[in-house]
Amino acid sequence: MRRYTLGIAGREFVIDVQEIDADRFEVAVGDQRYEVTLAGDEDLPDATITPALAQPQGSPALSRSAASPARTRPTPAASGAPAAATSRPATGGGGSSLNAPMPGVILELYVKAGDTVARGQQIAVLDAMKMHNFIGAPRAGTIAEVCVAAGQAVGHGDAIVRFAES
Amino acid sequence: MDPGTLGLLMQGLTHVTPQSVVMMAVAMVLLYLGIAKGYEPLLLLPIGAGCLLANLPLSPLIAEDGMLRVLYDMGIKNELFPLLIFIGIGALTDFGPLLENPRLVLLGAAGQFGIFLTLLLALLLGFSRPEAASIGIIGAIDGPTSIYVSGLLAPHLLGPITVAAYSYMSLVPIILPPIMKLLTTQAERRIRMPYSQRVISRRTRILFPIVVTVVVGTLVPFATPLIGMLMLGNLMKESGAVERLTKASAQEIANTVTLFLGLAIGSTMVGSEFLKPSTLAILVLGIVAFAVDGIAGVLFAKLLNRLSGGKVNPLIGAAGISAFPMAARVVQRVAQEEDFENFLLMHAMGANAAGQVASVVAGGVLLALMGAG
Repeated sequence: MRRYTLGIAGREFVIDVQEIDADRFEVAVGDQRYEVTLAGDEDLPDATITPALAQPQGSPALSRSAASPARTRPTPAASGAPAAATSRPATGGGGSSLNAPMPGVILELYVKAGDTVARGQQIAVLDAMKMHNFIGAPRAGTIAEVCVAAGQAVGHGDAIVRFAES
Repeated sequence: MDPGTLGLLMQGLTHVTPQSVVMMAVAMVLLYLGIAKGYEPLLLLPIGAGCLLANLPLSPLIAEDGMLRVLYDMGIKNELFPLLIFIGIGALTDFGPLLENPRLVLLGAAGQFGIFLTLLLALLLGFSRPEAASIGIIGAIDGPTSIYVSGLLAPHLLGPITVAAYSYMSLVPIILPPIMKLLTTQAERRIRMPYSQRVISRRTRILFPIVVTVVVGTLVPFATPLIGMLMLGNLMKESGAVERLTKASAQEIANTVTLFLGLAIGSTMVGSEFLKPSTLAILVLGIVAFAVDGIAGVLFAKLLNRLSGGKVNPLIGAAGISAFPMAARVVQRVAQEEDFENFLLMHAMGANAAGQVASVVAGGVLLALMGAG
């Protein structure tokens, strides 16, 4: 069970989310109860949802979002809130980066910030022209930043990950 | 019960012929390939079913006013079905990569070479001119074009030609890579072609199908039905003005027509017509047409590579054969096997879309050569 306390337009709502299944949740808003199914869960461009609340809440083990059990891929939120919360640096800063070779949609990401990769290791799957393309690391190194989220559309030359200076 | 009545009741059994048994076995093979092997199941399953139903003894389905006969008369005899499918293909095809790199048109043209070589081979084997042209069109590696051309020139060969065209198309990922590897050196396969992002304006994308229709239609009038429908679908897609019609053409209409088309083609595969040495010859010639297309495409891309000073990866020539978009994907896969950082997909898609148009034009040229109408 996870409790969200939201202030919407000045009113306060207390929402309790109880996971029944990976994609089924019982949600209580006030004294109304709903059974909710989760049909999709994706990070839209520029969406880094990391609530920074003043008071620490719960034990560290509980600090993951209630919806995250349904995810199979690592997400920024699950891999450490501070890293995901950092704003995106302007292009050109930091070490070299791996850029999208053509326009498409990032389907999967296999690395997170801090990972060490070998040359040729799979970083992502890029869907272009309905084909799933293997995107491998151009060099060995440490990932400094993952610049995209799974499900995000990228243009030609957009950075997918940045490497740490070595 | 007198023997006459018994005969009437048992006439199904008494009309089973060895030929119909063989054809039912052929139908089973087609069903197996479609269902278990996943080779173009959308076509092979209806074709197999049509073949089975047509070969059952005294099948009412192919008698006068039988359903399969009605479907055949409705859409194959007059070429309606392949044309309807072409609207859907046009609505699904993205000519953007071709517009970004227009010289890829040449590769699409080279990828049709197999049509004409196979035509000559078929003539040597003793097929009549219209028959040879229909067999050659398997080299267009495009199902509806093959059906359209052979339906006009040699309707009696429609069954084997369609089966050959669709079976080989599903084998693109198996047939093409060895040809590509044999004809290129490792260094050539590793030539990188950076993606050049040129923004294609909406106006260009909308004008393209109209201009192509007018130009091709004027130069090759016999290709007008095919190119006209292909480009109609593309115009609907690119204009964005008729999203419902685009969706219906690409999905509902294409799906419905595919079922009708498959059943009707299957029903032409009746023992006496299909079980001939010519069928075997067609299957062999079909694969020759296919291979020659791939060889010509790769060799021509090698020539382009020479002329451009080493900037064209010869692999993309293989995408000029048509078989959109499968051939382009195969090119990308083979290139990435050599060098995981090489992305030829967009260039291959351009050559592939060019191949699609070139197939249709080649079909029109063949019809013109044969003086068909």
